[in-house]
Amino acid sequence: MDLLSQLVEQICLGQQDRVRELVREAIEQDIAVTRILSQGLIPGMDRVGEKFQTGEYFIPNMLLAARAMKGALEILRPLLAESGAKAVGKVVIGTVKGDLHDIGKNLVRMMLEGKGFEVLDLGMDVSPETFVKAVDDSVDIVGLSCLLSTTAPFIRDTIVALDKAGLRDRVKVMVGGGMVTQKLADDVGADAYGQDAALGAVKALELMGGAR
Amino acid sequence: MNGKERILTALSHREPDRVPLYIHAINEKPIILLTRDLIPDLPDPEKTFYDMTDGEKFKMLEALFVVHEHYGVDGFTALEFGHEQRIGPEEVRDGWGVVYQLNRFGLPVARRHPLPERGDLKGYRPPAPQKENLLLLLAAKARFQDQKAVFWMMRGTFVLSWRLCGMENLMLKMFDDPDFVHRIAQMTFDYNVQMLDLLVEAGLDVLIIEDDIADKNFPLISPDQFKEFINPYNRRLVEAAHKKGLKVIRHSDGNLWPLLDILLDTGYDGLNPLEPQAGMDLKRVKDYCGDRLCLLGNIDCIELLPEGSPDEVRAAVRQAILDAGQGGGLIICSSNSLHPGVKPENCRAMFQAVHEYGQYPLRL
Repeated sequence: MDLLSQLVEQICLGQQDRVRELVREAIEQDIAVTRILSQGLIPGMDRVGEKFQTGEYFIPNMLLAARAMKGALEILRPLLAESGAKAVGKVVIGTVKGDLHDIGKNLVRMMLEGKGFEVLDLGMDVSPETFVKAVDDSVDIVGLSCLLSTTAPFIRDTIVALDKAGLRDRVKVMVGGGMVTQKLADDVGADAYGQDAALGAVKALELMGGAR
Repeated sequence: MNGKERILTALSHREPDRVPLYIHAINEKPIILLTRDLIPDLPDPEKTFYDMTDGEKFKMLEALFVVHEHYGVDGFTALEFGHEQRIGPEEVRDGWGVVYQLNRFGLPVARRHPLPERGDLKGYRPPAPQKENLLLLLAAKARFQDQKAVFWMMRGTFVLSWRLCGMENLMLKMFDDPDFVHRIAQMTFDYNVQMLDLLVEAGLDVLIIEDDIADKNFPLISPDQFKEFINPYNRRLVEAAHKKGLKVIRHSDGNLWPLLDILLDTGYDGLNPLEPQAGMDLKRVKDYCGDRLCLLGNIDCIELLPEGSPDEVRAAVRQAILDAGQGGGLIICSSNSLHPGVKPENCRAMFQAVHEYGQYPLRL
């Protein structure tokens, strides 16, 4: 099996030490860093997402794979910056005001990074104003996460705030989380709804293929 | 029949005189909105319990009892009180050393964890269950005098373990250090089994093992991890409670289908809260295992109770009784807590519809 296929497999298994070794070997063999990313790490995380969606993998497997991916990115990031490679898009993400649950949001961030996105994570309990402030010209998508029905109104408030700031046409809005449904996403005028973390990342990629 | 007899009969898969009505959990705001015509000078409905004066807290206790009495609710849920200490304007710490941040609705969310690593076990002393923390149970027993079934909400192995270690950390430790995860789980079991003695002494009727293990799509951990790290400890609790003559309910949010056979094998008497949005279709669950598990729940608190009309709520209660009421083994409650977003008129409609449609023999 070639090095990059091994990398795909070891990412999928979440073997962080083996992944680091393989990344270093790939660099030594002069494999382009963009190729290590696009043919090793990203397909690895894609496979993790597929296994999650079919019910073969569960959240702990995703965390394990994401940890291995993170270790690889630590090695690759300086080299990627030197190579001038660009992320596929930039996402600002956070849980809405009042919501203090972040495991779902963290999984979405990992899956987005696994697809080659740059992610600005604003954390938890993020006010509409903070989301608005974080959106600059480099941002393509705003991701709103919400577990509780009590905090769901803040999804709408955040979208309204983006609209009032004149940013709504410039960014896409994605929503997801425990109590969010497609119906709620439609009601608040979101551009996409991610039923789970893996699907959320797929939808984000689809959004990038659209307007911009 | 009184409420206690009704609940225990349904839990034994026999038909009581009426389908029992139960409140699994209820927030401050709906308690106040449902009783403010009955009790004068209740606190502001937006105020959280943590921010109330002692006088207001006593009023809330009275209001909570009145909700159950006035609306003919057959079972009452008690839970631990007094084990938490306020350590800041938005933070409380429990007896385990877990620090919770309070969200703006007063819901505590575990944010700091005392045992993230194996080394932290050294010198750590878990709390011992305290009889004085059973205040709500003792007050309910005294108030209802066995006219209603009193339930106790006991946190299970998964919830207690992740609060001690952090959820993502616990999940990774299942791969990195399985023995550490077992040691944490054993510690939670030891606490719970001691607590069980106190609960039985206090006259408990029904134990709820509250151990959220799934989201709306999937279990949070794999069925194999569940079987290895979590369920054996909860199973021992079920066995211990059965030996003491208690009925045992399993509570977990989310889609439990991938774990349902394991839960059935564990010997629970009932399952709660059966969220429709998580695929827990009442008829489907009844057909699959209604002869083995009493079903408690299913009236949708995500869309129906906050946004529907009283007529829609009545129709949903009628449908639930049609789908799962035959032969007993059904207790109606909402599909999770009666949270601050539910409309009081819809709660009233749910309570009244159970009394109206739930009479056995069913004639719907």
